[in-house]
Amino acid sequence: MDRSSALGRGLAAAASASLVGLFVLPLVALFVYAGGRGLGVAAGDPGFRTALEFTLLASALAVGSGLLVGIPLGYALARFRFPGRRLLESVVMVPVVVPHLVVGIGLLLLFAPNSPVGHLAGALGIPVLDATAGVVLVMVYVGAPYVVLTSQLAFRAVDDDVLEAARSLGASPTEALVTVTLPSAARGILTGALLMWARGVSEVGGFLILAFAVSPSPPWSGPTTSTASVWIYSYWGIDPTAAVGASALLVLVALAIFLAVRGFDRSGLSGLVGRWLP
Amino acid sequence: MSALEIESLALERGDFTLGPVSLDVALGSATVLLGPSGAGKTTLLRAVAGFLPTSAGTVRLAGASIGSLPPERRGFGFVPGNLGLFSDRRVRQNVRYPIGLRGGPDVEGRTAHWLERFGLTALADRYPRELSSGERQRVAMARALASDPKALLWDEPLAALDVESREELLRLLADLLETERIPLLLVTHDPATAFALASRVVVLEEGSVRFDGPPEALGRAPLDRFVARFLGYANLFDAEELGRAPPSDLVRALTRASGPAGVAVPNEAVRFAPGPGAGASARVQAVRWSSAGWTVALRHGGLVLHRTVPGELPPVRVGDEVALSVETLALKPLVASSTGATR
Repeated sequence: MDRSSALGRGLAAAASASLVGLFVLPLVALFVYAGGRGLGVAAGDPGFRTALEFTLLASALAVGSGLLVGIPLGYALARFRFPGRRLLESVVMVPVVVPHLVVGIGLLLLFAPNSPVGHLAGALGIPVLDATAGVVLVMVYVGAPYVVLTSQLAFRAVDDDVLEAARSLGASPTEALVTVTLPSAARGILTGALLMWARGVSEVGGFLILAFAVSPSPPWSGPTTSTASVWIYSYWGIDPTAAVGASALLVLVALAIFLAVRGFDRSGLSGLVGRWLP
Repeated sequence: MSALEIESLALERGDFTLGPVSLDVALGSATVLLGPSGAGKTTLLRAVAGFLPTSAGTVRLAGASIGSLPPERRGFGFVPGNLGLFSDRRVRQNVRYPIGLRGGPDVEGRTAHWLERFGLTALADRYPRELSSGERQRVAMARALASDPKALLWDEPLAALDVESREELLRLLADLLETERIPLLLVTHDPATAFALASRVVVLEEGSVRFDGPPEALGRAPLDRFVARFLGYANLFDAEELGRAPPSDLVRALTRASGPAGVAVPNEAVRFAPGPGAGASARVQAVRWSSAGWTVALRHGGLVLHRTVPGELPPVRVGDEVALSVETLALKPLVASSTGATR
């Protein structure tokens, strides 16, 4: 190995180590500060438990909605050529670059009771401000781009030869989509769903504006609450120990969900073939 | 009786025009589409399979016109160039796919039958990425046949296979033609495949049929440069090249044997011996090894002739002077391309 390549490797290793340190050390600090006691306090706090429950419900609804609209859009962007496709791709990425407080303000103005859209939502009996729908809406806004992007990449990676083989083996276009394209893209879509979920759960800015305190609103029938992130933000100024404990608990829940999804991902498609797929 | 009949099939894709192409494949026989890259072989195969719209022509399979049917109802087992295996499914699940899609009794039993038929039982739980290229070809073949096709369409089955796998697959295909009595339309750019399998060869160039007939007729047909290249003639000279070369007995012999498009010198017609002697003087320009043997490039004036010798390295080195001659009776005149087609 010559000196310049040794130097290059050294710099790369140092850069990697700094970045990994930056990712991990704040979490280490969080857990060290919280300790077992902090985690216990947070777990035992009925207010935080309710906020966590609500967050899991809202994020599940948001990911479901995001998949429902994001997968078809990702598919269309990957498989069809149509005028304005490039523009649409850019528009889809707008939520990633817009500051999230601005997202909250925009959604607040859009759904204000005296605005046409707010009026329509009211008429349909769907409260948005300080309601479950508002939280879900913010989560979809900030997270759905990840579903669109990852599913677009996943659909694009499905080889035309594979689809043509499936067709000639007897699959109609719909059967080829359901039995080959979607399962082949599933891993990418799952990654997008996970990113969307993580993004939604970690959101604060949009909630502060649109849904700071969430009143009981379908399908949430619990007491008035907030998202876990807003709960932590609120308690940071009142009871830092509780806020740190809650933060550590939220990280543990997120990691548990991440590992569960990855575990399902690893078990792969094979388990579904024969039972659900031909 | 022809099981698969293609009549005057034509299509346009951008600047490329294919056809009209007519060909047929008898039951239990193979018709091979031969031609260089870009000739339209794969395009024709995909059009027959129903993946490309045609502008004219008919496709009949087992007596029924299928040109307007979608691919899944045409009754072909279509194997694309890179096989189209489901990479995230095991071998068993790949082979099971068409059987499960159709449903019916004993899906697992029928899957096991095709796995066993192609020697895949022991590999059934592997993923395609864990197989050799020859094994992947067998999976593709088993899966295609598991769909109970009336004909097989196969794009470049022997591409990227090592010699052993090629031989094995050729044996399998030949066996398949005999036992399953299925018609096979196969695309290749490799003449060896054509000669090994085909009862009929269709040579395509730039979207047009240049030759259509039994493989042995390809050698007897008037040769043009294109077909000559496919038949493995390494030495092709046109009138201009011969005219530029300094006059010699050898050049005159080649000129006399030339047709309108020049002359082809078969490998066996090139003779050389070390040192000066009877024949034209030539110098060894290169000595290369390939699976076919040692190829010696011999420069005589402005012409370079190649001779491939199987077995041991010939007793010559680059730069050596050799005595060169050609077997004049074996020389083949080349006709202009347009007259090379028999249809």
